[in-house]
Amino acid sequence: MPEPVIASVGASPLGRTDLPGRDLFSVALAEAFDELPDPADLVEAVYVGNQSESYEHQIMYGTLLAEWAGLRHVPAERVEGCAAAGALALRHAVKDVRNGEHEAVLACGVEKMTSAGTSGATDALSAAFDRAIEQRSGITAPSQYALLAKRYLHETDATEHDLAEIAVKNHANAARNPRAQFPKEIDVATVLESDPIAPPLKLFDCAPVGDGAAAVLVTTAELAADLDRPQVRVAGSGASANNIAVAERDMTDIAGARIAAETAYEEAGIDAAAVDIAEVHDAFTVCEALLAEAVGFAPAGTGYQSYQTPAERADGWTDVQLSPSGGLKARGHPIGATGLLQALEAYEQLTGAAGDRAVEGAETALLLNEGGVADAVTVGHVLTTAEAR
Amino acid sequence: MTDGDLDATDPRTLPGFFDALADGELLGGVCADCGQVLLPPRPACYACGSRAVDVEPQSRKGDVFSYTAVHTPPPAFAADAPYTVAVVELADGGRLLGRVAADYADVAIGDPVELTVHEPTAAEREVALDYETDWPVHVFEPR
Repeated sequence: MPEPVIASVGASPLGRTDLPGRDLFSVALAEAFDELPDPADLVEAVYVGNQSESYEHQIMYGTLLAEWAGLRHVPAERVEGCAAAGALALRHAVKDVRNGEHEAVLACGVEKMTSAGTSGATDALSAAFDRAIEQRSGITAPSQYALLAKRYLHETDATEHDLAEIAVKNHANAARNPRAQFPKEIDVATVLESDPIAPPLKLFDCAPVGDGAAAVLVTTAELAADLDRPQVRVAGSGASANNIAVAERDMTDIAGARIAAETAYEEAGIDAAAVDIAEVHDAFTVCEALLAEAVGFAPAGTGYQSYQTPAERADGWTDVQLSPSGGLKARGHPIGATGLLQALEAYEQLTGAAGDRAVEGAETALLLNEGGVADAVTVGHVLTTAEAR
Repeated sequence: MTDGDLDATDPRTLPGFFDALADGELLGGVCADCGQVLLPPRPACYACGSRAVDVEPQSRKGDVFSYTAVHTPPPAFAADAPYTVAVVELADGGRLLGRVAADYADVAIGDPVELTVHEPTAAEREVALDYETDWPVHVFEPR
């Protein structure tokens, strides 16, 4: 069975941009193929992570981006799973290469979130939640996660101050990431004094709205070597759906994330302790705490210590470094592109291209991408250096 | 797999569920194999996969399991903000999300509440899809 590897990555600028989605993609693709043959000479299939047609009144994103890449007559499709769409696209590409269907597949993601302001994005994102009961009650993405946060603070020793520290840590990481939407440090008071969005979550607990695209080339180890590209192994991939309604789930044991991560660990032949860096889905600060527990980095009730150094954390924590990119919080969260931006960060970290933010000695990464509220759908990938084989 | 012939009068469909709710009856699915309560009722149990789902009236009384306030609403509900939303654990074991008719500051986890139902207001009808127009809207009242 061919072993899938990532052989190249690219991204557009993130945040408020003057480019529509297809043009953001063109920018990301140009970076990814800068040192490669043209896509038409290499790519055999295209998957596009994309959340919503309400931003650009455009579906058929598979067809559109394949064409804009100079490809015609290849299989191409949009993949939908709200904010997990990007990792779902990556997973499809990985499976195609692994099962021998294709030798080179483009996994990409795009979202033009700023087209209708914050209220437009709020409306588009609310479509991810159960329509019959939860949307009709006026629920939003921040308020869904606030329900988890309220419960988490109730059940554990975590405080709003701890959640603020997670945002501070991720902004500090983003300050060393030239790709970040918010490459600047903040302090705890800035978070705690920011506007209420859905208590206990405040503005600075929330990932921003922003535009962005990312492109990732998945291929075989042999082809990547022929192309003389640095390569990162995709050693494991797992995915899991959970209830659509948040009310019916365990709101602090994020089971879908646990299953997606454990499946990816098992395929990779590792356990959680082997993970050096993790890009987890910190759409809201509380997510990083919940996910650290779900994927096996932290004992139950201690995930909020993710901002602390390994020496400071509770017994039973691994030495993992979380969200070296700055995470969704500060690197940015252009919904359909996010899962691929996570892969991009891991690729740069594991190939020695992460510059000032490089985590020394990192050989194994976990990517954890969620869609809907929390684990409505979760995708996990384990990436390792070629040497860790 | 057998489901018989589901139609819009069956409470395992949304029209059937909301018809009963409009009459003040909260119906839940109850898995005949594992006991899981499903709100609203549906043809299959997510907990064990069984399709032996009975439809039974559920207590409208429950306790607040978690709650928040929406300060940045979708455009359809802009006039209501901030409004309180909670996940409520009902006495018969199901959990349901809904608005709470109380200020955020006056709510706490564990507070007793009761589900009430009203006909959709003119504003609620305006943002409803065609087939939702007459569906009732539920709100939890402190008790």
